[in-house]
Formats: sequence, C-alpha cells, structure tokens
Amino acid sequence: MRLELREITKQFPGVLANDRISISADRGKVLGLLGENGAGKTTLMNILSGLYRPDSGEILIDGQARTFTDPADAIKAGIGMVHQHFMLVPVFDVVASVALGAEPVKGILGSFDRASARKRVVELSTQYGLDVDPDARIEDLPVGVRQRVEILKALYRKSDILVLDEPSAVLTPGETEELFDIIRGLAAGGTTVIFITHKLNEVLEVADTITVLRRGRVAGTVLPAETTREELANLMVGRDVELTVSRAPAKPREVVLDLADLTVRDDRGGIAVRGINLQVHAGEIVAVAGVQGNGQTELVEAITGLRHVDSGTLTVGGEVVQNATPRHVADMGVAHIPEDRSRDGLIANMTVAENYILDTYHRSPYSSGVRLNRKAIAEEASKGVREFDIRTPSVETHVGALSGGNQQKVIVAREFSRPVKLVVAAQPTRGLDVGSIEYIHRRIIEQRDAGAAILIVSTELDEVLALGDRVAVMYAGQIVGILPSEQATKEAVGMLMGGVH
Amino acid sequence: MSGLRKRLRPLLVPVLAVLSAFIVGSLFLMLSDLKHLAMIPTDPIGALTGAMGDVINAYRALLLGAFGDPAKFALAFQQGTPKAWTTALRPITETLVAATPLMFTGLAIAVSFRTSVFNIGGDGQFVLGALGASIVALAFRGMPAPITLVAALAGGIVFGALWGFVPGFLKARTGAHEVITTIMLNYVALQIVQLALRTDFLRQSTNSQPISKVLDFVRVPLLIPLPGLRLHWGFIAALVVAALISWFLFKTTKGFELRSAGQNLTAARYAGMSAGGSIILAMVVSGALAGLGGAFQVMGSVTQMSNDVNSGYGWTAIALALLGGTRPGGVVAAALLFGALNNGGHGMQVATSIPLDLLVFIQALVIMFVAAPDLVRKIYRLRPPKPEVVPAATEGASA
Amino acid sequence: MTAATAPVTTGVPRISAAQQRAERMARIRGIIFAVIGLAGFSFASGSMGSDVTFRFWIQEQGGAAWEIHTAAGLLWILAGVTTGVGGIYQLWKGASVSWRRWMALALPFWIAAIIGTLLAGKPAVMTNLFGGSLEYAFPIAMGAFAAMICERSGMLNIAIEGKFLLGACVASIAASVTGLVFVGPIAAILVGVGVGWLMAWMAIRHRVDQIIAGTVVNFGALGLTNFVYLRILQLNTDINTPPTVEAIKVPILSQIPVLGPVFFSGTPYLYIALITMVVLTYMLFKTRWGLRLRASGEYPNAAGTVGVDVIKIRYRAMMLAGAIAGFAGSYLSLHSAGSFQMNMSAGKGFIAMAAMIFGGWNPIGAFGAALVFGFSDATQTLLSSLGVDVPPQILTSVPYLVTIVVVAGLVGRVRGPAMAGIPYEQG
Repeated sequence: MRLELREITKQFPGVLANDRISISADRGKVLGLLGENGAGKTTLMNILSGLYRPDSGEILIDGQARTFTDPADAIKAGIGMVHQHFMLVPVFDVVASVALGAEPVKGILGSFDRASARKRVVELSTQYGLDVDPDARIEDLPVGVRQRVEILKALYRKSDILVLDEPSAVLTPGETEELFDIIRGLAAGGTTVIFITHKLNEVLEVADTITVLRRGRVAGTVLPAETTREELANLMVGRDVELTVSRAPAKPREVVLDLADLTVRDDRGGIAVRGINLQVHAGEIVAVAGVQGNGQTELVEAITGLRHVDSGTLTVGGEVVQNATPRHVADMGVAHIPEDRSRDGLIANMTVAENYILDTYHRSPYSSGVRLNRKAIAEEASKGVREFDIRTPSVETHVGALSGGNQQKVIVAREFSRPVKLVVAAQPTRGLDVGSIEYIHRRIIEQRDAGAAILIVSTELDEVLALGDRVAVMYAGQIVGILPSEQATKEAVGMLMGGVH
Repeated sequence: MSGLRKRLRPLLVPVLAVLSAFIVGSLFLMLSDLKHLAMIPTDPIGALTGAMGDVINAYRALLLGAFGDPAKFALAFQQGTPKAWTTALRPITETLVAATPLMFTGLAIAVSFRTSVFNIGGDGQFVLGALGASIVALAFRGMPAPITLVAALAGGIVFGALWGFVPGFLKARTGAHEVITTIMLNYVALQIVQLALRTDFLRQSTNSQPISKVLDFVRVPLLIPLPGLRLHWGFIAALVVAALISWFLFKTTKGFELRSAGQNLTAARYAGMSAGGSIILAMVVSGALAGLGGAFQVMGSVTQMSNDVNSGYGWTAIALALLGGTRPGGVVAAALLFGALNNGGHGMQVATSIPLDLLVFIQALVIMFVAAPDLVRKIYRLRPPKPEVVPAATEGASA
Repeated sequence: MTAATAPVTTGVPRISAAQQRAERMARIRGIIFAVIGLAGFSFASGSMGSDVTFRFWIQEQGGAAWEIHTAAGLLWILAGVTTGVGGIYQLWKGASVSWRRWMALALPFWIAAIIGTLLAGKPAVMTNLFGGSLEYAFPIAMGAFAAMICERSGMLNIAIEGKFLLGACVASIAASVTGLVFVGPIAAILVGVGVGWLMAWMAIRHRVDQIIAGTVVNFGALGLTNFVYLRILQLNTDINTPPTVEAIKVPILSQIPVLGPVFFSGTPYLYIALITMVVLTYMLFKTRWGLRLRASGEYPNAAGTVGVDVIKIRYRAMMLAGAIAGFAGSYLSLHSAGSFQMNMSAGKGFIAMAAMIFGGWNPIGAFGAALVFGFSDATQTLLSSLGVDVPPQILTSVPYLVTIVVVAGLVGRVRGPAMAGIPYEQG
C-alpha cells in the first residue's frame, strides 16, 4: 500500500514538533526517515500509530484520507509499528506477545487459542526468516530477538506498512545486517517499510528513498544513488542558529578527569559504556558528541557517582572516585549540570532559593548542622539571581514557574556557586532560546578560563562545535574519534555520529 | 482585595469539599429516615419538609455539641458558678480533647506524605505508643509524677518510632511496599496489645475485659481546673508539636532533605541526598508522632490502656493530612474540624439519636472530594488553577 | 560499508545484581533452614515419649473415627529432617531450588509436632480442624481473588474490607426484606459492582491516588454500615434476620469416608469458592480476557499500542472484583452470623490481601494461603477449646507477619504485577 502524509503539523506547548511535514512511501519500497534527536521523528511516528492526533494535515493510504483516533484504528488501516522501546510484556511468552490484541479465540469463555496463534507465529517466522523460539519468555530473550518478535507482531496483524523506529539502536552490527535482510525481504513481498534512523550508512544501504527531517521540518528528499554521506550529514545537522560565542584558544594544563577502560552498564544490565579512555585537562573543554542513547547518559552518571562502574578506573584530580557517592563527588569540586533539568536538576514545587542550595544546603553558611539559615540562603540566592541574570519575581518563587532558560540558569548558578574543579554538563542548553544558550555557553567558557576542566555532553552538533576545544564522538558506547577543534568540522563529526569511521 | 482573594483561594476546594460531604451526608440521612419515607405515599410534601427539618435539627445539634450552647454561656456569665461554667465549656473542651489525638496522627501522616511515603500505619503506631507509655508508666510507678510522666511519654515516642522504623527500613532496603507492610503491622500491633494485656504486669485483675490498670498516677495535668472538664496539656503539646514539625520541615536541614525527596526523589538523589535515609527518617518521625499521640491519649483523655484507646485515628489522619494540604497548620485546622465533628456527633447522637457513625461516612466523603479537586471544581463550575509547571514537551517524552 | 567496531552486545554475560542477590538470599535461607531443622531435631529428645492422636470422623460428628497414633518426638524428628535436608540442599544448589516446595513439605510436620506437643495426649480432631480452616478460608480466598483481579489489571485495591462490610449489610437487608435467601448475595454483588466502579472512576477519571480511593471506600463503608445498623437495623430487627444459607451435603461425595465430612458437607459458599478458583485460574491464564488483563497490569503501553483499551479493562476488573468481594461479604451475614453486625469483617479484607501476596498473585496459591491462615485460626480455636493456654494472638498474627516477610523478599520474593497502582497514560 502507498502511504502519504501531507502537511502534518503538531504543536506542543513551546515546541513545534512537526511543521508541515510531507512524506510518501510506495508499495514495496523502503523509505528512510533520517534525522537527529528533536527532528520530529518520534512525534511523526506517534501520529502515524494513532497515539497523537495532528493539529492539521492528513494521512492518506492508497490515496484515501484516514483519521486515527486510537492505535486500533491505525492497526486496522494496516500500519504496523516497531517502537524503539519494545512494547512487549516481559513475563509473556513469544506467542502471547505477538497475539496480544489480535488473539484467536474459541469457546464461550473466549479461550485464547494458543495452538493456532503458535502455528501462525511459526509460519510467519519461517516465511520471513525471523528465527524465534515461540515458547520463550520475552525477558529471557536478547534484544535482537525481541525486535524480531516486534516485527512478527506487525506481520501477524497483516500490516502492509511497517514502521521501524531507530531499529538498530539496540542491535549489534551482525544483528543489524540480519535486520536489513529481513527488511529487504519484506519489501520484496510488497510491504511498505518506513525506516527511522539517525545513521547515515543505514539509510544509504537499505532505503529506496530518503527523507531528511530537521527541527520539525523536511530538510530534503533524496535518492541514495544520487547523494553522498556528506550531503546527508549536511541536511541532517544543518545550521539554523549561528552560534557565535568567542573564545580564546584553550590553555590546557594538568589532567583533571581521567577515565581508563571505563565500563558501565545500563538499567537493564547491558553494557552502555564500553571501556572508554578519556582525559580532560584543566583549562580545556572536551565536548562529547553523539546521538542520544549511545552511552553518554550512563557515562555522565558514572562520573558523577550516580551509576555503578563495572570496571576500569575513574579519577578526578588524581583521586580515584569510581563508585563514590554523588555527594562525595560533588564535594571534590565536580559541578554537574544534569541532562533533564526538570527531572534531575530541579524540584519544580520548591522555590528558586531552595533549588539554589539543593546540593550545598548541608554546608556553611546555609546550614548550622541542624538549622537552615534562611537569611544566608536568601542572600546567596539573590546574589546568584543577580549574577546569572535569572529572571524571577523573587527568590521565593517556585522554580517551576520560570521559563526553561531561567530554570537552567538556576542550575548553572547553583553548580558554579561553589569551587569547581571539573564541570560535567549534559545537554546544557537543550530546549533553550538563543539568548539563554549564548549566556550559558559564555559562563561555561569563563569557568574554563578560570582553570576548570569541562566535559560537555551534547547531541546538538552546533553546541559541540561552538564549545569543544576537543570533540569526542560517542557511538555504541565507545569513543570513535577525538578531533581537535580545528579538525572538527560539521561533516567530519556528523559522519562519526552516524557511525562512519 | 485581590491579595485577600489570592490568599483565600487555596481554601476554596477544602471548604467546598466539606460542604459537599455534608450535603451528601444529609441525603443519606433522609434516605435512612424510615418514618418520613413511610409518609411519602400519603403526604409527600410533609415527608420532605419533615425529613429536611430533621436534617437541620441534626446538624444544629452537631454544632451545639461541638461548640456549646450560647444560652448556657449566657447563664454561666450570669451565675458565674463553676458548675454553670463546666456545662457551658464542656462541649468546646471536649472538641479539643477529641482533636488532640487527631492532631498527632494527622501530623504524623503529613510528615510521611511530605516525603512521598504512604504511612497508613498510624493506627498501629498510635496504639503501640499508648502501650509503650503504659508499660513505662507502670514500671516507673512510685517515682515522682513528673519523672514518670516524661518517661512514659518518651516510651510512647520510642514504641511508635520503632513501629514506623520497621516499614521505613524495609522499604529503603528491600523495596517492600509500605502500604502493605503498614497495614499488616497495624494488625500485629493490635495483637501485641492484646498479648500485653494478658500479663499481670499490665492487666487490671478485677476486670474481665482486657484492660490495663488505671494510670491515674501519671495523668497529664488538666488545662482548666474545673471538675468535669477533661481538656489536658496534651492539647497544648499537640500545638507545640505542630509548630515544631513546621519548624523541622521548613527550617531544618533534615526537613529540607525530606521535602526534597518527597517532591522529586531523582533530583534529591542527583543533589547527593540519601533517598533511603529520608524514607527511614520520615517513617521514624511519623511513627514517633503517632506514638506520642497514643501516649497522651492513654494518660490524658482516658486513663486505662485497652484496644479502645484508638478509634481509627490513623485512618482519619489520612483525611487530615490531605485536607490540611500536608502543612502542619492546615493539619491542626483540619484536626480541630474533625474533632468538632466527632464530638458534635456525640451531641447529635444524644439529642436526635442519629448515630455518630454518620460522621465517619462524611469524613470519607471529605477525603474523596479533597483528593479529587477537579471533581469539586466541576461540580461548582470553578476555573481550573493555573498549571504551576509548564511541561517541556520534547521528542521522546512520549510512548 | 557498515559500522563494525562495536562488539556484540549480547555476547556479554549478564549477571544482574538481582540474580546475585537471589543467590545470596538462597544461601542465607539454606543456613536458616538448616539451623531450624537442627532445632526441631533437638526438641525430639524431650518429647519422645508423649503420645499424639489425630482423629478423623469417618461420617458423622462423634461417630466412627479413624485415628493416627504416634509419638510427638517422631513428628519433631520428621520436621527437623525435612527442614534440615531442605536447608542443606539449598546451600548446595542455590537459587534454583524452590524453597516453597521444601517449606510445604516441612510445614505440616512442624504444625503436627507443635499441636501434638501442646495437646499433651488429648486427641486432635482433624475433621473439625480442616472444616474450620475451610470456613475461615472462604471470605479470605474470595477477597484475595478480588484483589488479585485488580492488581493483575494494574489497579491497587485495598478496599476489600469495605466491600465485605457493604456486601454483608446489603445482603442481610435484601434477604430479610424479600425473605428469599438468594436475593441477599445478588444484592451484595450489585453493590460491590457499584463500589468497584466508583473506585475506578475516582482513580482513573479523577486521578485520585488508588490508595486514597481505597481508604475512602473502607472508611465510608464502615461509617455507612454502622450508621445503617444503628439507625435502622437495630430498631427494626425484622430486616436484619435473613434466612441463612444452609449447609448442603453433596450427594455421594459427602459419603466418602474422612474426606466427605470435611469437603462435601459444608456451605455452598465453599463450593462456589472452589469453582471460582478453578474458573479464575482458567480465565487468567488461558483466555483472551486474562491475557489482556495481565498485559494491562504488567506493561499497559504494550497493550495500548496494539489497540487494547487498557482503561476499559481496568474499569471492568474493578467492577468484577467488587462483585466477588461483595458476594463474599454476604457470607458474613448470611452464613457465619445469621445477621449483620457492626464491623463484622474485622480485618478479613486485609488478610485477603495478605493471602493474595502470599499466594503469589494466583488463585490456587491464594486459596492455599487462605487455608494456611484458616488453619492457624482453627488451631487456635481447637487449643483454646481444649484449655491449652497459648496466647491466641500469636497465631492470629501469622498471616500479617508472613505477608511482611514475603513482600520484603526476606524469604524468596514473589513478583506481583509490575504496574499495579500506577496510573496509565496513553501516548
């Protein structure tokens, strides 16, 4: 079936996630949808799967306009979805997981006809070469197999349009190759495939046409044969905002942060950071580039004491700190600007002043052991508000009522309010306006010039390039390249981010 | 004007919740009014007015029972005799007596809610506090009264705190859901009390019921020196404790940790606070408060330890904590209100023979309406409040 | 062309912290079992001589009996051996050993040994003991089924207690007014459904915390039923004297020696509980309904993304649970007491939750747990009737303590539905 999206627009408070996006995919073809984080891919997919409704625009299947009020509608229309985070019940077996929602039944009690479901699952897996043990429990299966279960789910529902969201994010290269074979097989059988990814090589390898999204819009549609990786990287990362923060060349001194063979696991026990070696010197900024989910989050959590280090060593200023408590790490002079400011960095229902002392409240002058010194807190917070130009009615205002930029300034002000040896900043300017971005960048450079070592993790290429004295690129849990700033061009870094090296 | 309106706005939902609960309560009162229901076929209007009249009478008796009869106050002023004063003051002082244990348990639950720990074990902590106080009091018998009293109060605190520590520790260490463990511990506490009341040390041998020896040698001093008035210093202590808890939560380092953990456990962890430590501390403080309430109850309002020392104070406390917005001042106000309801209910029961249990039902309705503010707003067509936090919708926040 | 530097993710052995913990717990458990086993063994020497008699009525109460004679010491030895061997086996094999099976094997010997020693020569009438356990178990088991259906769908329901009370009250009134015994349970079911809907409506539509919603129902039911009792039933006793549910002797089956008097001569409620257990087990694990229900409780987004209406499932689960709990409530007034009394559920609703947890969130396990709790209750009755001075409080506390131990994972964690109590947000 032919799928066409016309002028799809979806607005969230403060974010125009999809801005008049039009794409189309023909029967039996693979459409590659390429874009960075925040390009609008996931929103578009949620619209297609009936989870969101677009503010405007239409979805056409074989030329006919369709509206989906819930996921059941989309499934009925023949759209099958393979979510990046698998939608599988961990304690179910494969047959039950595949059949859920479309179970064959028999008898008056509505008994689940497992035998016939199992038969279909076996048939489909042989037909499409999806090797799966139908009786295994989901939680015992490796991720690659779970993904095959997800694809079986779509096939089981006779989906003619299969949408895969970042399907290779969790796969090994070998598994990825198998996935591509499966996709080619499906397309040859007449299925329309939409393949969402940020990896340049993958779209070039498997897609028949490529549509590139950037910041909620279509940046271009090209054919693999007529394009180059460089062109795709350019389209994907683009440059909408010219970031112009002037900085003097770095004068790196002694090593402050030293990671040696650092290995860290994610929440599910898989390896997220794979034996990383990295040094950050006093007076330099190392910017870690990479698409979300390549181990950056776990790396930052390990450095700041929030995540258990499996093996390797981690030293700050010569002292071994792996598996120290977050407080111990902070007390050593490590400032942490966390990735998600509203979840990790701030307490929305507490005041600006309270948030300002969130990790220093137990120290003088804020605390005298038992009591909090309100006056000192208010004074220091006011000072921070003035120094960092935080726009707030007062320090007693709830921090949740401030704009994103001012919230982030509260965090930066807090972290820089104490002596800082090392700054670990994850996505320090995500979702902020240009003014705030420049302000925070300037502050970070000031810290560098004052002698701090800075590690910035960002998925925004512009930010990485604007700040990094050296740019390290993370891919699949490893650092796949470290470029000095003069060699770190958009294209070079973009290619590394896309897994080309 | 607008400043006043802004200050009063947070009160709107609780006030309407209480009002709505009373309206629903009166519906049930009318529906259970067999006398007037029987009249409907013959005299529907008379039945309706009669039933409504009974409702008004009941609520009037409730008010008089809770706050006293103005006529009796006038008489007391006129005569000035202690007896007249006792009669006039008795309802209002009994309201304060009824509010005292509620203030303690309400504060206990408020502290736990502030930390996002669901302590519904107030009942168990309260009775064990009462038991602890009784045991210590009997053990210290013969010592000077003030020493015994202080020791017994400390005993109540320790027992209650211990009963709070167990679920707190289990949650922090093993992740055991505190709702399940506290419910179970409530029942274990009851059994412990029963078991303790079998011992010769505690049991009043002349009584066939499991009830302790009379603890009149450690009575909490009375507040008003009039015979027949039970109001004791426990009430003042509750107010002081409320102030202390307010200070603890909002002015101390540990209180800051508790509030931070309660509002956003992740951010608290990122800021270097210990989540487990906060949970345990909150449960210990919570248990200690409920235990202290039990101690005051057994040595103030009543003078013997038995299972009847508690009448669902731990469960009512949930309503109080919600109604008071988990702020100590709010909890005190809510406890006074519920004390008035419970005590006024006695007056209502005596005057109109309408069972006091109606008020338990009304209290349940209050919880429901307070917990569902959007329901109240819908019923009264109020504007929704301005969202305090603008959610930053980003890609990936879905699914 | 492809990126090929990343080593294989799945090739890394995954020894999760949870697994390590389980192994450690298993060893600790093994040691504890072994020590307890040794203790049991040591009791044997002191009570080798004392006789124990277990009596089963073959047909009628007080009629012909079948008796087992043994020595208390022998029971202690058996208890000690089974526990000790289980402990050593666990030490050796680690977490792969089912501690439950060993406990199930050892527990009867322990109970028999303790009872035998306490009775000191008097006969233990096992027929009454088992019959009493079943009587006690009925409301507990049904309450556990109700709570289980809710939790399996992702709703935490602590209001079984309140539904018991409402069911008991309404059943008594309905049966008394109509004079028809079957009207009572039907009315109780209807009220239970209504209350279940109310809870779901509060929790889902108005986002009231599920524990708060449960508290509202428990508290409200207590107040309302007390109010109704004092205002109406106490004065008009004619509407609180329902026809009671009589025991039914199942033809043929009740004639089976020993088993007949225990299982097939009792209340119809018991048969319904057994049928419910079987049907519910089938429904939960073998039908489409059960599959979707469990998916809603384990990972609602997985169900939602394939078009399953999670909200509807949860509403229905709450209503079905209300029906079961309300029906069980009718037992209290129509069978046990013969009328409605204030607060007559007396915490059984919470023991039902305990049984659900102890039974591992499945119907057969929950029924077994209810029987264990019932047995401890019946033992207590037996002992006090024979004048053995054991504080009843110790046995009464068993269900509560067992539940705490189980939820804390101190003896092998049982895993409940992952998402119970967490509101479902689509998209």
